[in-house]
Amino acid sequence: MAEPDYEAFREEVRLFALVHCPPEIREVVASYRKLSRKIWAPWQRILHAHGWGAPSWPKQYGGTGWDARQRVIFDEVMAECDCPPQYHHGLRHLGPVIIEFGTEEQKQRFLPGILDGSDWWCQGYSEPGAGSDLASLRTAARLEGDHYVVDGQKTWTSHAHEADWMYTLVRTSKEEKKQQGISLLLIKLDSPGITIRPIRTIDGWHHVNEVFLDDVRVPVENRIGEEGKGWTYGKFLLERERLGGANIAPHRMALQRVRDLVQTELAGPAREEERGLLLHRLLEAEAELLGAAELGRESVQAVMDGEPLGLLPSVVKLSTSVTMQSISQVALDAVGPRLAARFRRVEGEGPNADPPGLEWVQNYMYARVRTIYGGSSEVQKNVIARQLFGN
Amino acid sequence: MPFAAAPLIAGETYETALRFGEEAAAELAPLAEPSAQATCLRAQWDRIAGLGWPGIAVPEAQGGAGGDIAELAALLCGAGRTGLALPLATACGVVPTLLAGHPLLPEAASGIARIAAILPGATQDPGEESLRRHSDGMLHGAAVGVEAPPAPTHVIAFVEGAEPALLLLRADAPGVETVASLRVDGRLAFDIRCRAAAPDAVLAEGEEALRRVEAARDLGALLACVEGVSAMGALVEQTIAYLNQRVQFGAPLATQQALRHRVADMYVEYENLRGITAAALRAATTEDALPWRPIAFAKLRLGIAGREVAESAIQCHGGMGMTEELPAIRLCKRLLMAEFEHGGRVFQARRLLAA
Ligand SMILES: Cc1cc2nc3c(=O)[nH]c(=O)nc-3n(C[C@H](O)[C@H](O)[C@H](O)COP(=O)(O)OP(=O)(O)OC[C@H]3O[C@@H](n4cnc5c(N)ncnc54)[C@H](O)[C@@H]3O)c2cc1C
Repeated sequence: MAEPDYEAFREEVRLFALVHCPPEIREVVASYRKLSRKIWAPWQRILHAHGWGAPSWPKQYGGTGWDARQRVIFDEVMAECDCPPQYHHGLRHLGPVIIEFGTEEQKQRFLPGILDGSDWWCQGYSEPGAGSDLASLRTAARLEGDHYVVDGQKTWTSHAHEADWMYTLVRTSKEEKKQQGISLLLIKLDSPGITIRPIRTIDGWHHVNEVFLDDVRVPVENRIGEEGKGWTYGKFLLERERLGGANIAPHRMALQRVRDLVQTELAGPAREEERGLLLHRLLEAEAELLGAAELGRESVQAVMDGEPLGLLPSVVKLSTSVTMQSISQVALDAVGPRLAARFRRVEGEGPNADPPGLEWVQNYMYARVRTIYGGSSEVQKNVIARQLFGN
Repeated sequence: MPFAAAPLIAGETYETALRFGEEAAAELAPLAEPSAQATCLRAQWDRIAGLGWPGIAVPEAQGGAGGDIAELAALLCGAGRTGLALPLATACGVVPTLLAGHPLLPEAASGIARIAAILPGATQDPGEESLRRHSDGMLHGAAVGVEAPPAPTHVIAFVEGAEPALLLLRADAPGVETVASLRVDGRLAFDIRCRAAAPDAVLAEGEEALRRVEAARDLGALLACVEGVSAMGALVEQTIAYLNQRVQFGAPLATQQALRHRVADMYVEYENLRGITAAALRAATTEDALPWRPIAFAKLRLGIAGREVAESAIQCHGGMGMTEELPAIRLCKRLLMAEFEHGGRVFQARRLLAA
């Protein structure tokens, strides 16, 4: 494609976003409130109806056929127009695994619901005894005829309270190496024997849950790939999860919003110095994001070319997670004295923040998780070091 | 296999510069005396002049090789891995930009004219004035620590005033005094003081002078980032090599998680700087004018990342990190110095904040 074509494409995406993304959805995104299925799902339906449901999938499965540059432009415009980033668990995590390792029936059964946003997925990996050391997971599945019977507990399960399905790592046999004998099952969350309990987190929003599985019956055809090879699929998926950070566009939008916040919160000549200090910190964060944006671009290109990603996912996750924390720190420094003193837990739906601006305090708290979940910073550094040192 | 950094721009120019830089570093390493180092640098300059490097991006009609920014960057990329102690960004990028079509350009391209450039923001010692043109047209004032090739023959000086100007004068003109010193990174720098010195020529005045100065500085900053990426990549490699061979507590230090994590952090900084520099370089090679914003952001990053990585490398080397001779530590010093070249961190931040 030539340069003017990319510009035309940018305009096309912008026009679509402004016309078709409902204002009430954009308002939630713009005000940094927590996104839920109610916000994400209708938007996914709209995108899908337009043929843009899965920009990162191969065309034959509903992808758009865009090149890497178009992908990045799409992300940028979506962020600029305050459209929600697409919900990740189906599209970015499970979808590619099904496409790569699933059977024809599984593709036909599960991909359409991901594409049009009618099925909602969550990730059942972590357990009370298996966090960074995920392979020590103990939730067990034993085969009985054409069903697995699953017993155990998952925890930290984001979105389980609003999801239909959980893709789940379970132990199907005890082997010498703990990475062996693990399988990947797709479990319907309304199955008998499942109990979901909310976990209260420091930011006051409801993200995560405990999921108890008590003799839950799962049809064998809901297993992805071979029995005992789940670790391979799970890792394939985790790599894609870490790449979530490759889309830098929402981060840059967040940075712009915090910059605006600093300007308004610390307005006036009396606060010029404070303002200058915070704006300077944002500038350093912006420089980091620009570097990460280029790495994100390289990652998107590599995925599309089928090239190995190497250390990129770990590097991008490590650097963007810390940068986003720095940005959230600046926001906290701007509003903290006024708003951290009036923190409120949000229950259920509705506006998260009262008094207005409280989202920045919540966001600061929530941002701490960026260096913990999806492979903590320490775990990423172990991964990087192993590769760098060659052992 | 331990980590090996890939060059931003590979190819013949890169390889040549890398080989030259390795030889040059090996020559310099055993020399303890500043005067011996200066003599060695002078000989090395003559060799790069013979290779045509100062003219690599000068148009052929003016005696250069007619290369583009990518060619120039490839040179810096190779030399950067070795911490070459010659002012390539200044001599091959900044000075030709300032001279533009001036008749001295062919001599600069061949390396016969060795030019020090005094740009806005040049420093003075306390109590000294920056360079100014008096009403009689004579130059007064000082600039200290100006990076330049050995034994400068000419000085290009930016002077402020109602009508800013870019002036050219001979370094041996009456009223011009130059004193050499060695910078932290082993490069030559000069204190240049003028007392009623007469300029030879006016290179540009007013808006044009400002425009040229800005373009020259941005090119210098971009090239410093390219050098920085290379130096940083090599530094990560050398730190890993050191930790792999140094044994304490009965095992290589490379087995200690605290040190492994510090190296992982260095690598993340390196990758980030590589990303932002690659993006700035791409913008510089595809757009008509040099894009100042991406360059300013990259240079800001170089300042932050450079210090972080250099300090970590020194820490990982323990006592050896405090010594002068290790190639890794020379790269550290190169990175620490690069921050201040062609508009430092503070300069770039102020410029971005004001925009
Ligand atoms: C808000 C939130 C949402 C989440 N969503 C999901 C989800 O949807 N699905 C899911 O499966 N999981 C989810 N998680 C779980 C998350 O992936 C884990 O919390 C994470 O993997 C860390 O495990 P842990 O909490 O057990 O910490 P631990 O593993 O106990 O780690 C504690 C500390 O020790 C460090 N550490 C651990 N091992 C090492 C080591 N070898 N070297 C050095 N340091 C080490 C860690 O980095 C951390 O700092 C979520 C977590 C949170 C908080």
